Amino acid sequence: MLLVKKNIPSLFKILLIIGFGYFFWLMLKITLEYIPLQKEVSFLMIKQTEVVQRPEYLYFFYTHVYTSIFVLLTGFLAILRKDVGLKNFHQNAGKTYIFLILIFSAPSGIYMGIFANGGILSKISFVILGGLWWFSTFKAYQLARQRKFKEHKQWMWRSFALTVSAITLRMWKVIIVYLFHPNPMDVYQIIAWMGWIPNIILIEYLITKKYI
Amino acid sequence: MKILKLTLITLFTITLTGCKKDGKTTDSSKDSLSGKKDSVVVQEFHKEYYGIYMGDFAGKEMITPEEGEEYEGDVYKKISLKINRITKDSVYGQSIVDGNQRPFRGVFNENTKSFILDEPGNDKTDGRFEVSLDKDSLTGKWNAFNKSAVKAPVKSLKLIKKEFIYNPNFMLDENSELIDWENPKNFVEKYTDEETGKTEKYTTSKNRIASDAVFKINASKQKLTEKDIKNLRKLDLEIIKNSVFARHGYSFKKATYRNFFEQTDWYIPVSNNVDNDLSPMEKENVALLNRFIKYAEDKYDSFGR
Repeated sequence: MLLVKKNIPSLFKILLIIGFGYFFWLMLKITLEYIPLQKEVSFLMIKQTEVVQRPEYLYFFYTHVYTSIFVLLTGFLAILRKDVGLKNFHQNAGKTYIFLILIFSAPSGIYMGIFANGGILSKISFVILGGLWWFSTFKAYQLARQRKFKEHKQWMWRSFALTVSAITLRMWKVIIVYLFHPNPMDVYQIIAWMGWIPNIILIEYLITKKYI
Repeated sequence: MKILKLTLITLFTITLTGCKKDGKTTDSSKDSLSGKKDSVVVQEFHKEYYGIYMGDFAGKEMITPEEGEEYEGDVYKKISLKINRITKDSVYGQSIVDGNQRPFRGVFNENTKSFILDEPGNDKTDGRFEVSLDKDSLTGKWNAFNKSAVKAPVKSLKLIKKEFIYNPNFMLDENSELIDWENPKNFVEKYTDEETGKTEKYTTSKNRIASDAVFKINASKQKLTEKDIKNLRKLDLEIIKNSVFARHGYSFKKATYRNFFEQTDWYIPVSNNVDNDLSPMEKENVALLNRFIKYAEDKYDSFGR
């Protein structure tokens, strides 16, 4: 029994890694739909109003699509803190994560949020999400520079919880559509909030209870 | 060498133009031949009988229900008979049933005011119509050429002459049934019997149902924007799009749409292809709706956005 008890944390970790691997693969498949770069593919099929009326929309959109997959990957690798034999792996993965979010993924995300589907409530949610994402990542970066590693860890968990909202938002979509079959934009309004709020609540709980 | 090349090219070009010229002469000789044909105008008679006659096409078939034995019952379909031309010897037109358009050729008896119309015979559902005209109605029967190839080899017809007019205002009637019976989705559900405590699995079918947006949005009268249709379900989008085609008299092949539009009193299926009849605005709306329908199909219930 003791052996089982001891191994539960590592078992949990393994499950998380497998789970993340599966969803990362799904996100990669989605990203690949956008290669080669086209104006009317996939999600853009219902954003032609924006594509046509705003010449910059495609730039922001593709910046977000092409960088975010690396954000997911580097964030996951950095937060695992596994020793893979490479020097400064955690720092290098982390720096890539921070750089991509602060310069590319978050600003483009905020821009897209302004034109989000589903009405004003969705737009507010995505803009707040983008803002918190940028801010938490920036704080985590600052704290690492100041070598305040305990707080750095806490803020990075906040940042990563928001990163993972890309996955949780889509999971909720599948569940809600399966259960209730609502109209497409009604689903969207719900998942715009459900995608990230439970994530951040969980992290704040874990921080308060000193698990992180 | 240069001069040689130039000469060859020039000769080659001349040869080409020569070929072209020959082609032209052949064509014009063809034209003159057909021109000669056209100059003999075939006289047409009884143009007042031209038009579309629409109504019930009924036959007895063996029906196999989900439960129970086979029984012989009446099956009703809607048919349109289009009479296009009546000459001294022949009558030309088309029949349209279930989206299947077949030409016919036959004769008209002036004394009895009746038609005998034959479909070509190279399709297993072809047959002969024998109908009489009484003012605006055509009544009679139909016999399949190949009696063993069809479910109902003998059918009766009761048709009334209908004017097909395009009216962009036509909409589905608000009392219409909005359930798509043709595409049920099967769900396996669990049921626990309270008394015995046993859990059983059973399969239910759920059908799609359209919303009242189909009564409000008219793709023939308003230019649609993405905003107008973003929150509509796929069935709504499909109906709004196909209403455009229905208004132009398109004969739907899919039973889903036939069922929806046959409930109206204005839908007359007269043609297999109405693409050229759509107005520019209708064409744009259809393209927009198609995009959203495809997106709904690919993405509505999947992990992607």
